[in-house]
Amino acid sequence: MSWWDDALHRAVAEVVLAGALAGLIGVHVVVRRLSFFTMALTHATFPGIVLASIIGVNIMLGGVVAGGIVAVGVVALTRRRGQDASAATGVLLSAGFALGAALVATQSGFSRDLSSFLVGSILTVGTQDLVVTAVVLVVVAVGLTVGARPLLQIGFDRSGAQAAGLAIGRWDLLLLLTIQVVVVTMVPAVGTILAVSLIVAPAAAARLWSDRLPVVTALSIVFAVGSGLVGLWISSRWNVAAGASISLTATAVLAASWLPARLRTAVVRLPVAPAGRA
Amino acid sequence: MIAPFELPFMARALAEIALLAVICGPVSVFVYARRLAFVSDAMTHTVFPGVVIGFVAGGLEGLVVGALVAGLLTAVVLTLLTRGGRVSDDAATAVVLTAMFSIGVVLVSRRTSYTSDLTAFLFGRLLTVTADQLVETAVLAGVVLVALLIGARALLFRTFDPAGAAAAGFRVGWLDLWLNVLVALVVVASVRAVGTILVVALLIVPAAAARMVTDRLAVMAVVGTVLIIGAGYAGLLVSWTASLHYGVALTSASSVVLLLVAAYLLLIPVRLLRARRQRRVPSARRSSVHELVG
Amino acid sequence: MTGPALRYDGVSVGYQGTAVLTHVDLDVRAGQRLALVGPNGAGKSTLIKSVLGLVPVLAGQASVLGADPSAARGQAGYVPQTDTLDADFPVSVRQVVMMGRYRRIGWWRPARAADRRAVAEALDRVGLADRAGHRFGTLSGGQRQRVLLARAIASEPRLLLLDEPFNGVDAVSQDEIVRVLRELSAGGAALVISTHDLGVARDLADVVCLLNGRQWAVGAPSEVLTAEKLRMTYGGHVVDVADGQMMLVEP
Repeated sequence: MSWWDDALHRAVAEVVLAGALAGLIGVHVVVRRLSFFTMALTHATFPGIVLASIIGVNIMLGGVVAGGIVAVGVVALTRRRGQDASAATGVLLSAGFALGAALVATQSGFSRDLSSFLVGSILTVGTQDLVVTAVVLVVVAVGLTVGARPLLQIGFDRSGAQAAGLAIGRWDLLLLLTIQVVVVTMVPAVGTILAVSLIVAPAAAARLWSDRLPVVTALSIVFAVGSGLVGLWISSRWNVAAGASISLTATAVLAASWLPARLRTAVVRLPVAPAGRA
Repeated sequence: MIAPFELPFMARALAEIALLAVICGPVSVFVYARRLAFVSDAMTHTVFPGVVIGFVAGGLEGLVVGALVAGLLTAVVLTLLTRGGRVSDDAATAVVLTAMFSIGVVLVSRRTSYTSDLTAFLFGRLLTVTADQLVETAVLAGVVLVALLIGARALLFRTFDPAGAAAAGFRVGWLDLWLNVLVALVVVASVRAVGTILVVALLIVPAAAARMVTDRLAVMAVVGTVLIIGAGYAGLLVSWTASLHYGVALTSASSVVLLLVAAYLLLIPVRLLRARRQRRVPSARRSSVHELVG
Repeated sequence: MTGPALRYDGVSVGYQGTAVLTHVDLDVRAGQRLALVGPNGAGKSTLIKSVLGLVPVLAGQASVLGADPSAARGQAGYVPQTDTLDADFPVSVRQVVMMGRYRRIGWWRPARAADRRAVAEALDRVGLADRAGHRFGTLSGGQRQRVLLARAIASEPRLLLLDEPFNGVDAVSQDEIVRVLRELSAGGAALVISTHDLGVARDLADVVCLLNGRQWAVGAPSEVLTAEKLRMTYGGHVVDVADGQMMLVEP
């Protein structure tokens, strides 16, 4: 009985840490419109994780290396003008997913690994995973605080930031690599789908409540941690996959934030003119 | 090189891919031009709950119906959400994707041993395609092609100049829904046979690769179709050879995708050469990570 | 201050070895207002980007604030076109203007009272003190342009470059911007303003530079904004001159 309690406690701790991490980075993902990139990263780190587990090195290392290659690739592709970044990201996503799946399929008993990659296995989180998540959380929090001003300036006004002397290429790469580290940290515990959901949905919900970045960030973290805990509770109460119930809770938070925001804008727009169908 | 395809199941697999090539070539051109890569990826995930519910309710026959309902529902939801809401397009797409997929996972996780369902959903069963399924795909392919031909001119106008299209009297919202529904139909037509991994690649990679060689949309569609057929043939052959002669379990869906991606990578230098020859003055605007999602 | 704020001698600028603009000779001193005039695609923005060190100088001698343009990066103030900005970005007007102070206060140190005062004063000068708490994207086009101008003012530049500051700007904002620009140059700043509006160029600038792929003329507005020189610059387009008014008419 006691081991079960322990696993649940660990799961709670992991959800809180991962939620804070996701809420923090999610604000950048949402305001910089990097959701697709994040989705592609989750798939593209897949072959790295599989390969690392096949040759027996730390799987996080494999994920970081694979994700790093993708982040560098995306920056290289977007810096070259006239390349369609959306398509390039899609190609990287397909390639990573197919390669990872192909590698997994060469091993026996692979369907178990595949599904845990997609939905994670939060109840098997070990103490070491918790430590890693906590360390990454601290590093990312410090990094984002130190770089807050340049990131704000670049996100808002690229040419102005460039004129002010910022190396925007380097900052872009740094941001993408940070997102990538967050994704790699979260995927083993919560799976790819939940990682994306927990990064995007709470931040998008928070964005609806405020125009001020500090407020948005705080709300985003609260929403992410809250969805994590509620989702975990639902999962243990009704015996459904934890990753999926957390993801659905986060979606519910966004929907609940969206309706009032929608009503507000409808009220504001009303006196102006009925909006055209364009 | 022909011999393996004399086996009926290999021939049927190749025929399925050829059918899909005929629709995915043209549709992927629109996916590319409208930057719907993420929307396509989302569709492949959102049909999952439909597949599960359909299968539980009506077995293999219910599966396609369920996928169809879920796909059409997503097409409507995404069209509505990406019009003028305060949640930016890509975030809305990501949330719809994860939410729908999670519903599917919740449904399967209530049953025992759901992992094999997930696996089938990812990889499809290309080598067990039946003649009935081929007919099914062919019908859906016909519907998609006709709908695409009817709407092509309006869709192109809207892609190039949304404001101009609206001013000319086109309902841009309906056109967007039209294209999203087409993408959903392609996903539904192909997901059972080839799995999500291959569908998403078929919708994104061909046009992106063809764009390296040509600027003309019609040529892109043809090149895309040829690339899919080529990659399909070679991919099936490679996975056949690998498993038969070398004992390596190489899934056919993966090898087709990887060959398509290889074609994309090999064609990048062609694009660079062409760009150098044209020497166009690049516009300095918006070449940013903002553009990661169009 | 000694020497010109901006000096170009026979300069060509462009991307990847391909010149977009050639034969540029400029000499802008403290307190002067230079207007870059030419049709769309003439190379006005490229010229401004070259001063900022973002587009390379391919030939000739260029000096910005007494240094090579690439070395002077971040020294000159810059007002970009507002339509290149993300209107959804969650940033308040006050925060945007504070960005003008970032070079002084660095990444990490909190803003000091002096910075806050500079921001408030800059917003006051462009007449938007009451909008400080609003989100940038909620303002009108003209107001956005004035906020960006306030940001440039807050950075106290000796050389300020403005890319089409009157594009999509209402009459009230245009008058306000012109007034502020005059005040800035009276205070000793050198200004470079790109525009395709000949009336603005004539009223505002001390020096006008006609561009279209190359520099066609430079000098006082009355010498440069003549029918003959404009026709030369704009190619086949016809220019009518009546009572000192000029009109460009498409052929």
